[in-house]
Amino acid sequence: MVNTISKAIRAVASLSLVAALALQASAADAQTRSQQGRDKGVYIPTIWVDPDGCEHWVMDDGAEGYMTPHVSRQGIPVCRRGNVCGVMETDQFFATDSYRIHNAGRARLANFFQTTGAVSYIITGHTDSRASDAYNMRLSYNRANAVAAIASQSGARIADVRGYGERLPAASNNSAGGMAKNRRVEIICIR
Amino acid sequence: MIKTKIMMVTACAFGLSACADYEGGLGRGYPQDKTMDRGVDKKHLSQLQAGIWVDPNGCDHWIIDDGVEGYLSQRLDKYGKPVCSGVAPPNQTVGDFKGGSTIRDPN
Repeated sequence: MVNTISKAIRAVASLSLVAALALQASAADAQTRSQQGRDKGVYIPTIWVDPDGCEHWVMDDGAEGYMTPHVSRQGIPVCRRGNVCGVMETDQFFATDSYRIHNAGRARLANFFQTTGAVSYIITGHTDSRASDAYNMRLSYNRANAVAAIASQSGARIADVRGYGERLPAASNNSAGGMAKNRRVEIICIR
Repeated sequence: MIKTKIMMVTACAFGLSACADYEGGLGRGYPQDKTMDRGVDKKHLSQLQAGIWVDPNGCDHWIIDDGVEGYLSQRLDKYGKPVCSGVAPPNQTVGDFKGGSTIRDPN
């Protein structure tokens, strides 16, 4: 009895598989002139890596070229290396809950921006997970702005300033060491 | 096939530089594998040489003029946001984005 039922289930399963395959085939066949060439409308891309290190889908269809960024389903680019050229551990520059940079920190930052020589910079602030999300969004943005102000004074061009709060941790917030890593300002150098 | 090639050569002589890239492609179309550039400037597409084109909003795109193919793809930072570097004013290009192909192309 059990055997018969499982056989029946298998039969139904294989039938629906055939149906699915037939559907797929007809999906391509029943389309337009554009799917009737030698390639049957199938375009297999390869990867081109841009000078920043990020991937793009690329295809050459004879006399046409196509390209689009390779991103995850969350919209995050797939990159083989980043162009983050500086990560400031905020403990070295700011007191807890403060976004004022002390004088020694200002001098270090000014020197960094004067010697790096990128086309422009993107500054992003991040916190650990203590305190509320809204508070951390505000604090991280204020800290990023404080860094950007020094960059501007040093003659650097700022492309963007953002605060991501606790939403993009670099490490686990379950340890003191991890939280310290998450309290940071990232500087992206656009070359 | 021979006839096609003769026509291509004639087209070349009249200055239609694009002709070189159609070789072997006319009539039959190309296979599903689109990962290579064919013709006289043939190469794997990972070898393309890009520059920057700044869009009217001031944001960067990778631009490539590879003989008869053109490519354009958005420059994104690691968070997925547009990169608007200010490297040039809107609509301006930067870098040798035509340098990756030997095919002569008036534009």
